Amino acid sequence: MSILLEVSGLGKNYYKQRGITRKKVTALNNVSFRLHSGKTLAIVGETGSGKSTLAKLLVGIEKPDSGIIKLSGEQVDISNYKKYNHVIRFIFQDAGRSLNPLQKVGQMLEDVLRFSTILDAEQRRVKIRKTLKQLGLLDEHAEYYPHMFSGGQLQRVALARALILDPKLLILDEALTALDPSLRAQIVNLLLELQQQDGLAYLLITNNLQLVRHISDEMLVLYQGQAADSGLTAEVFANPQHDYTKKLINSAL
Amino acid sequence: MLLLDIKNLTIELETPDGLIRAVDRVSLSLREGETRGLVGESGSGKSLVAKAIVGVLNRRWRITADRFSWMGQDMLQVSAEQRRKIIGRDIAMIYQEPSRSLDPTALVGEQLEEAIPTSLLDGYWWQKPFLRKKKAIALLHKVGIRDHQNIMQSYPYQLSEGICQKVMIAMAIAKNPKLLIADEPTTALESTTQAQLFRLLASFNQLKGMAILLISHELESVARYTQNLSVLYCGQLVESGDTTAILKHPFHPYTHALIKSVPEFQPDLLPKSPLYALPGSIPTLQHLPIGCRLGPRCPNARKECVKTPNLERLQNHYYSCHFPLLKRDES
Repeated sequence: MSILLEVSGLGKNYYKQRGITRKKVTALNNVSFRLHSGKTLAIVGETGSGKSTLAKLLVGIEKPDSGIIKLSGEQVDISNYKKYNHVIRFIFQDAGRSLNPLQKVGQMLEDVLRFSTILDAEQRRVKIRKTLKQLGLLDEHAEYYPHMFSGGQLQRVALARALILDPKLLILDEALTALDPSLRAQIVNLLLELQQQDGLAYLLITNNLQLVRHISDEMLVLYQGQAADSGLTAEVFANPQHDYTKKLINSAL
Repeated sequence: MLLLDIKNLTIELETPDGLIRAVDRVSLSLREGETRGLVGESGSGKSLVAKAIVGVLNRRWRITADRFSWMGQDMLQVSAEQRRKIIGRDIAMIYQEPSRSLDPTALVGEQLEEAIPTSLLDGYWWQKPFLRKKKAIALLHKVGIRDHQNIMQSYPYQLSEGICQKVMIAMAIAKNPKLLIADEPTTALESTTQAQLFRLLASFNQLKGMAILLISHELESVARYTQNLSVLYCGQLVESGDTTAILKHPFHPYTHALIKSVPEFQPDLLPKSPLYALPGSIPTLQHLPIGCRLGPRCPNARKECVKTPNLERLQNHYYSCHFPLLKRDES
């Protein structure tokens, strides 16, 4: 199994202006982890623990202050997102709010392809159709506007937008939390199926420990910007090291 | 004694295309000191039921019921003013997003003091402001906020969501209500704070005998903290009864699917194996199927399902299905 993503010593500080001095806020401090292709890594932590900062650093929305990100063994400058957005895709918490309500779904998918690939119009059309089918949507859904979909279908559309570039890694930022139980089960099944078929790797950022236990291979617990616990999911659940992890696992079980 | 007794509550919305029945003949009863969970997915009308109980739905909604009584008093007969008085005295409700339900322009302390009814303060009128403040501080302590000085002097936006929700609970219990309705109290919170809040609600239930109606879409948290459970699907009551009995042996295919879709209730499930999920998605209010609304998604649907099933009873366990899962062959 090849290592897809290797992060070592990642750090990020934010600065708050306080008169003439600046106050340093450490969002992320010396975080390292590895993710193999076809595996799922769950990142757990409370708000303000740096989960979302980590996700932002990985997709290049923010630049890290220190640390190295390696993609398939090569060190990359991830904030050059034009180059790397094929490999790492991001799914937001609320699919309904992250889609443009004025744009048809087909148009939205077409834009993604137009900006990021060299496919011509015909190839793009074929690709869109194929992706929609892969996610259990129909061809005519390309002509729909986001408000015409139900919650679960919207999440599928968001997945389609992420998967249309055939990424290697998908970052799910609380993407499963807001869904209803039966829809969540459907989406989880879909994600598991995609992982088995295409060897997709997931980085799952969530608070739902039951879900973490079910779908992730490894987990990383962040506490105040630092890695509190990491390792195989089953091991962390069975034998938590850090006090915060113990508290978290006790509260969920 | 029965606190709340509702039979066949129907809530309809008037639209240009005719009436839409958002809640279809739901029955609900609560005894004193009971904790009941109301579970359903989004659009199942659980919040509507809660709002109908406290009477905050606006005039576009038409509410009818065969029986709607509060502590033996028929609420459909009394005047709106009277009804408001009774409900204002006895029922309190906490809402989904605490930071949005609090007034952003007033200090938390002011809002909390305002929520304390004057009748509960015994003393002469010149002592009342002092007593009110004292009571507000006591309330904050009760919900587990120790740092009352700072919290009272803050605006809602300065506080975290968890603290805001605790303040909301403090405001709700200020009048010693007999029933506390919690409408998805923990959706905006983290798992550690969630557990704290549920424990808080459970302790009020045990110490003061306050009845709690806990509304949520997450079966696992509701199941852990309630005695009884009602499950709604698309505005229809599908099953109600004792929580442990329902979890152990659900009669309705929907409840069965709901329980099976949560990994927590499936300890034997291997990691990464597919979860049980019903096909399709929840229908919108404009396109509700006739009869049993689960019909198109139900694995055991047959011809009879186009007729709405009646609520049947087996001991203390109510269900509405033509073909209940009575045999113990599944799972």
